This record gives sequence, structure tokens and C-alpha cells, in this order.
Amino acid sequence: MVKRKIGARKLIIEPENQIAIKVSGLHKSFLLPTERAWGLKQAFFNRLRGIKGYREQKVIDGISFEIKKGEFVGIVGRNGSGKSTLLKILSGIYYPEKGSVTINGNLVPFIELGVGFNPELTGRENIYLNGALLGFSHKEMSEMYDEIVRFAELEPFMDQKLKNYSSGMQVRLAFSIAIRAKGDILVLDEVLAVGDAAFQKKCNDYFESLRGKQTVILVTHSMENVEKYCSRAILLENGKIVKDGSPKKIAQAYLKLWD
Amino acid sequence: MGIPRVLNQKNRILLKELTKTDFKLRYQGSALGYLWALLRPLLMFAILYLVFAMIMRFGDEIPHYPVYLLTGTTLWSFFSECTSQGIQAMVVRGDLIRKVSFPKYIVVVSATFTALINLAINLCVVVIFALLDGVEISWSWLLVPVFILELYMLSLGISFLLGAINVRYRDVTSIWDVLMQALFYAIPIIYPISMVIGGEASGARMLAAKVILANPISQVVQDVRYNLVTTSTITTWSFESGWYWKIIPIVVVTTVLITGALYFRWQSKFFAEEV
Repeated sequence: MVKRKIGARKLIIEPENQIAIKVSGLHKSFLLPTERAWGLKQAFFNRLRGIKGYREQKVIDGISFEIKKGEFVGIVGRNGSGKSTLLKILSGIYYPEKGSVTINGNLVPFIELGVGFNPELTGRENIYLNGALLGFSHKEMSEMYDEIVRFAELEPFMDQKLKNYSSGMQVRLAFSIAIRAKGDILVLDEVLAVGDAAFQKKCNDYFESLRGKQTVILVTHSMENVEKYCSRAILLENGKIVKDGSPKKIAQAYLKLWD
Repeated sequence: MGIPRVLNQKNRILLKELTKTDFKLRYQGSALGYLWALLRPLLMFAILYLVFAMIMRFGDEIPHYPVYLLTGTTLWSFFSECTSQGIQAMVVRGDLIRKVSFPKYIVVVSATFTALINLAINLCVVVIFALLDGVEISWSWLLVPVFILELYMLSLGISFLLGAINVRYRDVTSIWDVLMQALFYAIPIIYPISMVIGGEASGARMLAAKVILANPISQVVQDVRYNLVTTSTITTWSFESGWYWKIIPIVVVTTVLITGALYFRWQSKFFAEEV
């Protein structure tokens, strides 16, 4: 058994406090199995031979920042720079290894659209299941049901099994449920730009409506979206913050990574 | 984590919705649907009855032996379904665990709830069989849920403990399958305990009977039979053995449940990374 350190993730509710998220000295590394350490037999032999059976992969390497209420923050960086891990730590899915994370208010994460969607269930059943994962009761979902279906433009398909939906239809349904969630802080991972042009317009309107009113953290590779929606952006590289500032500057710095 | 947070509204909603989904999906796409929840244990009973009661003449001296046997197989099916689903739950629901933050025990509990619902349906069948076979209705039937609760606590404890280990070492699922095969014969389901004691009770045979009855599953099965079917059932309490033999089942159940829950809670912080 490997002993692992655990940092702190605190949840507070202080309406007069203007800081929505405070991250200080955050570290996170994963233990990756080296050879086939997946199973009791290998674990046993590795112990006998004195092999650790895993190596440490540093993913977040000392990150500190603060996000004020009402900020729309874009987090950018290349694949493997630690964006998603940071988001998962903010969302409470992963535990911080060192350092601390303080969340002021109710945080609603969307690491992926349509979490828990089951292809064998109908569209209707999936709405209720997905809603439960967002914390909505059956009654609350019933009240929002018509609106969700109308927004997704899927009225005739609700009693069909999800496996018969096209991928675009699935994402539209998931997105329509996701935007019902009410929280003080929204955390979104690559959920922009789904569906066809008409649906994108709806999404666009939704994100416009969030600007300035809601604290949002958005992970994306689209610099166009960063410049369009964000009030501030953070560039990550190898688990460290390399730049923190206006979306325009960050977009330029991001594109320079490949020069 | 205090009690209020464990049972807060959000967690209750999630538990309910996941249980519903589990139950719906279990028999999805089969023509007979939910009927399989009834048919599977009944068919298993039919086979065992044919082989052991009709051909090998087990249980001739036990009144209402078919109901007696059915009670045993029903409880065994519950234990086997509950633990195997519970142990696998974290892996089966890996997609949720990697992407949403919620108390992980909900996944395990919802998987075991499906087994509880199936047990409730099957117990109705047992009662119908009992009435058809001329078993008299008695106040002692009201004690049955107490023993089922005990069996459920044991199943839940095992699910927590082995389910947490299973996240890292998937071998657990296979080991448990084999163990269950052995366990089935270590419990007096098809054979009456009187067969173990035999005609002339020797020391070794008495010890075997004591060990069998010290198993919490045997204790529950025998107690349910005693209260539901026939008072001629030999139970852990009525069997002549020292008091320490009699308290082993309850000690085992409590220990497994507490250890399982604590270990699960400790490990659950890392499930999202490992599953």
C-alpha cells in the first residue's frame, strides 16, 4: 500500500467575500504503474523483488491563483499541460496532494457533457438520470423537462433509446440539461461549440448571458472562444502557470508555444 | 463526514435515480424482462429440488422440505447477487466516478438495493409456496426482516471492503466467484444440518456442525427457516454449543461492516484516479 499525502480542499460560503476560488501552492502527481502492475500477482512479485511498480508523474507543479466573483476565466495550454487535472481538483474529483484549494460558494462542474448517459435508456430516462447527478430531484426535473427538450430541439425523439441518437443529438441533449444547473461557480471542460450552426447560436447566446454575472472557469483549445467570452485567461505549461492576463495576450502566447 | 451529510437530499436523489437505472438496465432487452428476477432463483430451486430431494432423498425427515429448500436458495441468491454486484459497482460505474464528485458509497449501495428489491419479490413467492404447502401463518414471520437486515449488513460490509480493493486489483472479482462456489457448500442450503451430525454424533462431526452454524450466512438461513417454515430447524441458538459459538455470527457481521465501511471511506479519495 502506498502512502500518499493529501492537501486541503475547503468549501466555504461567504457572500461578502469577493474571492470565488483561491488556489495556493497546489501540487499533484499520479502514480503510474510501470510494468504490468495491474493485478495481485504482479503486486506480490514486485514487492518480493523490491520494485515499486509505479513511477510518479508530476502533473500540477506548484500553482497559485485567485479568481474573483464574476470573472470568466479561460484556462489554456497544450495537451498534457495539466488543465483537466486542475479542473478535476477544483471540482473535488481528485484530491490535491499538496497545497490548498478554497471554493467560496456552490461549484457545478462539467468535466464532460452527458455524464452517466446510458445508451440503453430512452432520452427521457437519461434526462432524469443526468439531472440527478447535477442534484436535481425528479420533481424539479419534471418542471424543467419541456424546456430542456425544446432547447435541444428533440421533441419527437424523447421515447427513443439514446443509442439510436446521432452523436450531435446526444450532445445537444446533454448541453440542454447542463445549462439548467444553477451554481455560483461553473466549471466547464471543452463543452463549447456543439451541434449545427443553429444550435451553436443558442449556445453562444447562453455564454453571452453568463458574462459578468456568473463566475465561470472554461478549459478550451479555441482561442476564438477565449477572446470572445473570457475576461481573463491563464496559460499552463508542464503543470505551471506561465502567463496570467488578458485573453488577447494569452491567445498570442498560446499560439507562440509552437513557434 | 457526519450523518446529516451522508443522507442529505442530493445524495438521496442520486441513490434513488441510480437504483432505478440499475434495476431497469438489469433485464433490458430480454423478452421476459423483470420476470427473470423471479425465474432465475425458481429454476435454480427446481434443479436442486430434483437432484437432492427427489433423487438423493435429502430432507425426508424435514417437514415442508420444498419450502425449506426454497427459503435457503432465495437467501443464497440474494447474498450472491448483492455481493457480486456490490463488489463490481465501483468499476462498472467508473465513468461517473472519474467525472462527477459525489460520495462513492452511493454507487455501492444502489447496486445492493437492486438485489434487495429482487429479494422482496422472491420472498413473496416463498410465502405463496409456504401457504400452498400448508405452512401455518405465525407471528414469528415478523422476525424474518430482522435476519434479512443482518444478511444485508454482511453483504454491504463485504461489498465495501472487497469493492474498494477491486478498484486496484481486479482479481478480487474472480477470487470471490470461486469463494462463493465453496461457500455454497459450507452452508446448509441443500443438505440439512442433521446430516452433518449423523446418526452417532462423533466429536469431529459435532465440530463440523458448530463451524457451519458459526457462519453468519448459515445462522441467518436457519433462523429464517425456523421462523418462517418449521420450528424443527436446527439454529445456531438452539444447537448445543458454547456461548462463544453463538455470538460468532453477530461479531463477524459487525466487524466486516465496520471495517469495510472505514476502509472504503479511506480509499474512496483515490478511486477517481485508479478506477
